[in-house]
Amino acid sequence: MLTRGSAMNQRSALTIARRRALLLCATCAATLAALIGTALSTGDMHIPFFTAVRALFGAGDSGTVLVVQQFRAPRVFAAVFAGAALAVAGSMTQRLLRNPLASPDVIGVTGGASCGAVLILATGGIPAALTPVAAVAGGLLVAVLLGASAWRSQVSVTRLVLVGVALQQGLAAVVNLMIVRFPQELASQALQWSSGSLYGRTWTEVWVAGGAIVVGGAVAALTQRRVAVLDLGEESAGGLGLDPRRARLGLLVLAVLLASLAAALSGPIGFVALVVPHLVRRLAGPPTPATLALTALTGAVLLLGADYVALNLLPIRGLPAGSVTATLGAPWLLVLMARSRTKPVQRTLT
Amino acid sequence: MSVPTTAAAARLATRGLDLRYGDRTVVRGLDLEIPGDAVTAIVGPNACGKSTLLRGLARLLAPAAGTVTLDGSDIHRIPARTLAKSLGLLPQQPVTPEAITVEALVRLGRHPHQRLFGTWSGSDQAAVERALERTGADALRDRPVDQLSGGQRQRAWIALALAQETNLLLLDEPTTFLDLRHQLDVLNLVADLRADAGRTVVMVLHDLGQAARYADHLVVLHDGGLAAAGPPGAVLTAELVAQVFEVQCRVVPDPETGTPLVVPLARRRPAGRADRSLRGESDLCPTAH
Repeated sequence: MLTRGSAMNQRSALTIARRRALLLCATCAATLAALIGTALSTGDMHIPFFTAVRALFGAGDSGTVLVVQQFRAPRVFAAVFAGAALAVAGSMTQRLLRNPLASPDVIGVTGGASCGAVLILATGGIPAALTPVAAVAGGLLVAVLLGASAWRSQVSVTRLVLVGVALQQGLAAVVNLMIVRFPQELASQALQWSSGSLYGRTWTEVWVAGGAIVVGGAVAALTQRRVAVLDLGEESAGGLGLDPRRARLGLLVLAVLLASLAAALSGPIGFVALVVPHLVRRLAGPPTPATLALTALTGAVLLLGADYVALNLLPIRGLPAGSVTATLGAPWLLVLMARSRTKPVQRTLT
Repeated sequence: MSVPTTAAAARLATRGLDLRYGDRTVVRGLDLEIPGDAVTAIVGPNACGKSTLLRGLARLLAPAAGTVTLDGSDIHRIPARTLAKSLGLLPQQPVTPEAITVEALVRLGRHPHQRLFGTWSGSDQAAVERALERTGADALRDRPVDQLSGGQRQRAWIALALAQETNLLLLDEPTTFLDLRHQLDVLNLVADLRADAGRTVVMVLHDLGQAARYADHLVVLHDGGLAAAGPPGAVLTAELVAQVFEVQCRVVPDPETGTPLVVPLARRRPAGRADRSLRGESDLCPTAH
């Protein structure tokens, strides 16, 4: 054996990795807070940063409080919750399916959720609080379809991804069909939403979906150890007292729930779920509970940032946040695919 | 458990065990007893059901018929987490997560001992330290497992199984893919584990000589059934090897340990050829006639 240098050193690699992740978390949280304040203060009526933050908590003149609390805050927090949920869902599905492309927006879950939500929006007269429920139902339905078509004992994940891509396209077509066929004013609302926009979110939607996302995120944090054990393969996981199939299924359902709730808030936003897990892995190394928190924060920053850019910085106003994330994400996807050629992506579940 | 067990008492036992993949029966009607506080080696030709049996013993495969018992109780009635505290498994080809360090890998061995809300405790860390030290992997703790050599990687995986702190350990071909020195490292470690800690070890091995040297109890499988079982000295005979492996051999005492050593008979060659090669002539094409 070589020297015991690394063992003698009090800071093992694990401790260093954890500190690094926590430091990144703190940086990300500070960025998010600054971004929230900035987003609350920017708009047709400019409000100074700290006035806007105070108005969020109900202090200041009533006009400012109204603008911040009723018009801007729901949109901002919808972006925060949706971004966090998408990123966590993406990191979970990529790990559980052992495929860097297997994120909910690629494998059709987002499409299913959109379909469910558009159905509710376009039918009209149904309370907005039910949109998340419909989205979750749609997302789960796609998950069941995926399972039925591709989830046999030794199924290739590549096939699962391909079936998912097909479902995603088909469902997008269904959404378009609904928009074309439905009455004008309902249809325009559905169209706005289905392009991945945070426009016109209400507190009701944010509370219902956001609350569910917080609960789901907490469960995800508590079950991170199971995901780590599943990473060892089915036999080792079984030897460590985990029923691998049941555990993987449960965790995938959780990921689908998170992705669908995000879709209920923001419409089908692409690439956040796909890109953030890779970004976090490059910044903070292999996954741990600390990197999960970092994933959620990064997702929130990314989506809120994209919405801010779409709303305020682009020459064309009124673009949905989804178009900004797609513009950023598409080149990234190409880089990812080019790089994955050196490493085999086509792995099977054992 | 505080019940004193004699060395001969069976810890794991199977009765009328059938194991199947789909409609293919791999293990058929197996009655087997694995003695406690001993090293048991399972040997047999390829595709005779060795690994399948190990999966069945580890509860990874439900029996199509018959039972597997641990200390007298059916393993399928023991909660998974409870079983994982007394029975550990090292699969033949475990999946190494990308970029995971040795220490992070070994810590996963504590999974059955941790509750859902439980935090990492001092006893968890102590078990990890013991396992790392035991396997000589403590100097490797910060290295990514996927960058280690085969022998080092196997140490890390054995350390994971040791951190699980089970008194029964199942190893599926722990020496495959290792060179001779690292094979012996692993086998010596297994022998020490049993000698110092009184662990029961069951391992699938390919090398009959190594199995005879390191095992107290030998289980020979053939076509999914039991061909023979007992102490290597009694079990390993030329007749058995001929019947099970279809290899003609002599069994001689290992010059180092006295345990049986299987020496395959030399291939019969055309007369005169042996003389020629003894004279040092070039023999580039020994199979040509």
